[in-house]
Amino acid sequence: MHQLSLDVQLADYAVFESFYAGENAAAVFALQRLVKGEQGVVWLWGNQDAGKSHLLQALIAQAGINGVSSAYLPLGDATMQPGMLEGMGELELICVDDVQAIATNHDWEAALFRLYEELFQTGGRLVVAANVAPGGAGFSLRDLMSRLASGATFRLHALSDKDSVFALQKRAAWRGLNLPEETASYLLTRVNRSPSVLFALLDRLDKQALTAQRKLTVPFVREVLGDQS
Amino acid sequence: MSNTLWARCLQQLQTELTEQQVNTWIRPLQASEDEKGLHLRAPNRFVVEWVQSNCLDLIREVVAERGPDSQVTLDIGQNSAAAVNVAPEAPVVSSMPRTTWQSGRLNPAYHFDNFVQGKSNQLARAAAFQVAQNPGLSYNPLFIAGGVGLGKTHLMHSIGNAIRARNPQAKIAYVRSVHFVSDMVKALQHNKIDEFKNAYRSLDALLIDDIQFFAGKERSQEEFFHTFNDLIDSQKQVVLTADRYPKEVDGLEERLVSRFGWGLTAAIEPPELETSVAILMTKAELENVVLPQEVAFFIAQRIRSNVRELEGALRRLVANSAFTGEPITLGFAKDALHDLLVVQNKMVTMATIQKTVMEYFKIRMADLLGKSRRRSVARPRQIAMALTKELTNHSLPEIGDAFGSRDHTTVLHACRRIDDLRNTDVRVGEDYKNLLRLLST
Repeated sequence: MHQLSLDVQLADYAVFESFYAGENAAAVFALQRLVKGEQGVVWLWGNQDAGKSHLLQALIAQAGINGVSSAYLPLGDATMQPGMLEGMGELELICVDDVQAIATNHDWEAALFRLYEELFQTGGRLVVAANVAPGGAGFSLRDLMSRLASGATFRLHALSDKDSVFALQKRAAWRGLNLPEETASYLLTRVNRSPSVLFALLDRLDKQALTAQRKLTVPFVREVLGDQS
Repeated sequence: MSNTLWARCLQQLQTELTEQQVNTWIRPLQASEDEKGLHLRAPNRFVVEWVQSNCLDLIREVVAERGPDSQVTLDIGQNSAAAVNVAPEAPVVSSMPRTTWQSGRLNPAYHFDNFVQGKSNQLARAAAFQVAQNPGLSYNPLFIAGGVGLGKTHLMHSIGNAIRARNPQAKIAYVRSVHFVSDMVKALQHNKIDEFKNAYRSLDALLIDDIQFFAGKERSQEEFFHTFNDLIDSQKQVVLTADRYPKEVDGLEERLVSRFGWGLTAAIEPPELETSVAILMTKAELENVVLPQEVAFFIAQRIRSNVRELEGALRRLVANSAFTGEPITLGFAKDALHDLLVVQNKMVTMATIQKTVMEYFKIRMADLLGKSRRRSVARPRQIAMALTKELTNHSLPEIGDAFGSRDHTTVLHACRRIDDLRNTDVRVGEDYKNLLRLLST
């Protein structure tokens, strides 16, 4: 008989503490300085799953703790409209995700430009994330591109296998789980190694381990994955 | 004022909404509370509408725990006096958004003192300085033409700040032309066009950035034309910028083009290497960063497009140095800027250079790669080879191969020839500089 798990797990929301920085430590450091009050603009770029959205939302979470007014604007979300940026320049910190999605759209570019100007007239801070470096985003408004490129630009590097093990262990530890290195390494050889897949699997393992009252051992994980090898 | 009520609401909202919903729609709300209840201010109507549709009831439930009379108000903007009580059925009352002509703020960080002067910008700087000393009297209007990120806006704010320093009561507005247009549209929508006109026409100095965005907007040009005339007639200073000369702005009415030429037009060119180095050194000094000259040269040689991207490279260096605690050296810079420079190098390929040169001189690719020694073809070919050597990492034999299987000594000769001509032939110097700018932005 299985014990039903109560939904009391810590929600896996994005915070700096659960992010394994690895080669991206300088970028994380620069973001943390921003939330502590340093002014400026930062451009983060990297492939999908490099951790851009996690870092932006972690920054927003930290801003909430520090009493810094902020907003996260996912421009890749088709429901967003340029009018959504109005008045956001009054806030202290804005995180814009998937900025490349609005490149060449005149209304969007003009709205973002205006947001930039308003934000920096009041000493605000801006973090922009994209899948390309500023020059490759394809903005038609070159003034916007050059302004967004005027801050520090960081490429977020994908995690190596070794770093993925550390990242999984860090994420697990933050959720109160002990994930032995052996188990993390086993996971990397059995499933797609993209962080979103790995972290979603960790979520599943967490629930099943709680239900089965088991530790995250290789045999348990093998059972969950239905791996007979 | 305590925000405990809002803190309880936030706690509840975080359990009911996704993380992204909270960060996008709830975090931008500014909360305050008093004996009547909770007052929320949203940046725009989209946020108000989202909150009303998705979680206002939940917020109300939390607030009602404090007492049945506790209310929740939700409005747009910063001014809590304009707050309206949001009953479930009540429509959103939108206050008029804050507009540029109501604020017209100057950026206090921009001054003549921290504007780095070089050959490329000295005329514009001198003219701007004159205007700041004698507003409305020396050059009116002053028109500053130049590409993106070369310092036009810096000069404009410097003029405004200098005028204000001499006369704190002076009414000065800095506005981008796109904002002038959108503010005018809003003023028309809200029946406030007279207020809009009066606000602009009562200024002592009007600084309008990037007037090329007026192109094709006839109604805005009409209004700007009258504002411009009023200000010039009453000897109030007008300063304009654009990324090109007035006559080159398509879609600008002839009467405006002609009036823009009444005063002085000064151009800003991309900074030459030495000015770029000086800019980097100055910016580093302002931020108390020790930047060796060889590192400044290293950055300036590789980032040729504009000052903002130079700044970006410097900020990246500073960020890495702050993180590692290491001093900035040439080796450190090469390592820290590796990603950035790889991207820059990738963006300029031999094919891009050939295409750009071909279009610039209006010749055919066959000419560029062919054997003809006619000067109209040979000179662009030499320039293209010199640019390829400067902007890419290709070897001389590789460049020779790409230009119609030429020997590497031909490439070397071309590079040396162009190097000489850039200093002795103004036209070649100009062409080379223009092409560098086209290829670096």
